Amino acid sequence: MLVQFYNVTKVYTNGVKALNDVSLKIERGEFIFLMGPSGAGKSTFIKMLFREELPTQGQIFISSRSIVRMKRREVPHLRRSMGVVFQDFKLLENKTVVENIAFAMKVVGLGNREIAARTAEVINMVGLKGKEDSFPGQLSGGEQQRVGIARAIANRPLLLIADEPSGNLDMVTAEGIMELLYNINRKGTTVIMATHARELVRDAGKRIITLEAGQVVSDLCTLE
Amino acid sequence: MILKNFGYFLKEALISLSRNRVLSLATVTTMAVCIFFLGVAVLLTVNAGNFMNQLESDIEIIAYLDDPLTDEELKDVETDIQSTAGVQEVTFVSKEEALQRLQEKFSQEDYDLQQTLGKNPLPNSFEIKALNPQEVAQVAQAIGDIPGIYKVNYGQGLVEKLFQVTKWVRILSMVFMVILALGAIFLIATTIRLAVFSRRKEIYLMKLIGATDWFIRWPFFIEGIMMGLIGALIAIGLLAGGYTSLINSAQTALFFIPLVSQQNFLVQVYMGLVAVGAVLGIIGTYISLNRFLNV
Repeated sequence: MLVQFYNVTKVYTNGVKALNDVSLKIERGEFIFLMGPSGAGKSTFIKMLFREELPTQGQIFISSRSIVRMKRREVPHLRRSMGVVFQDFKLLENKTVVENIAFAMKVVGLGNREIAARTAEVINMVGLKGKEDSFPGQLSGGEQQRVGIARAIANRPLLLIADEPSGNLDMVTAEGIMELLYNINRKGTTVIMATHARELVRDAGKRIITLEAGQVVSDLCTLE
Repeated sequence: MILKNFGYFLKEALISLSRNRVLSLATVTTMAVCIFFLGVAVLLTVNAGNFMNQLESDIEIIAYLDDPLTDEELKDVETDIQSTAGVQEVTFVSKEEALQRLQEKFSQEDYDLQQTLGKNPLPNSFEIKALNPQEVAQVAQAIGDIPGIYKVNYGQGLVEKLFQVTKWVRILSMVFMVILALGAIFLIATTIRLAVFSRRKEIYLMKLIGATDWFIRWPFFIEGIMMGLIGALIAIGLLAGGYTSLINSAQTALFFIPLVSQQNFLVQVYMGLVAVGAVLGIIGTYISLNRFLNV
């Protein structure tokens, strides 16, 4: 079991109740769509996975470890087992494609040789060969998101978290990104993807968790 | 970790310095101004202390002797004074010598005191320096009780006032320096916070990827230390130049103020200020970083 939520409730200091008694389990190797309207609690759910937010009540286990009881200095190690892909890519504008990807590995203390080998590997995998020395501003949105994905998988995470990864992209580009995420999942990485795009989810045949007003309203394998 | 990644940290610090040129310049200027005034305060304190020490060490007790005293009695009195607790130095001033000194004060007027007074009215006396100027009053009292001495003078009243003044000058200059240092830390923290704020996206990303706080801090610390050092060097350049020319002009125009001018002492002060610059850089960075690391 990779992720376990037990009666998780989150109330922000401003009084907003983002999650209300959420319980669910995610197995290793699953591909999960997290759906729901804006304000349903998707972002809060995702932030709790990498412990940017803590629950007000309830327990969360990642790889059987409670992130609520986790000490502050253990948090970096939790996060190293995850990769995060953002809707707005969050690339460093003054670094090239290679540097953006290498940055993630440098930060966790990998050696230069290992970094070079893995960078080449993930650039190949996301299909960015030839763009190594481009800056993010010189790339299309789809290419930038591929850099974001490459950066997220470079540290070989158990769990890939994608928050609206195709939210800023057109349909064709988005489908390309989805193919890439399915590929990553096929190699064994668990993927949790928050999205609004029903058309991407419809025929995927993956598990879909729908949140509304902070509660799980459906947890199915296809969309009705 | 610091050794393994030092090259990376240094490179990041240098890139950040040159990328945020305006902010770096603002921080360095702030540091330079703060350290300059801190240096001025230190030099003022040191000189005030020096001046006070000199004033205090000028304090002496004069013990006037009963007039006809045999040589033997005189010797006895001297031994008694020397064995009094807190006495550092005893000098005998004969009545002839005392008259001689008085005569010197009138020398310009070509005026013969001896002639006017007929006989020498001045008594024999001892000039006594106390080991600790603060204890002058007690020492003087003890000496006053020695037989053969009819009067003791040490500037009663005036000495107590002087000590009051020196005590307050010392306290105020310390308070002044502490306030300056706190102000410097505040200003530096504020400017560094702006620099950190402009990179909050990068810090957030590093946190999410799983960087430890120290991995994120080091480049900023190196940056802060470098800015502190550069600021300190600028400040010390101005301070050393200014102080040296002050010493030079003081020798002629302000001869009555004894300025501290030993080179190795001044070098120590300047080196201390360099260290202060580095420490201020670290403290300022630490304060302004922590808020952004709380992700």
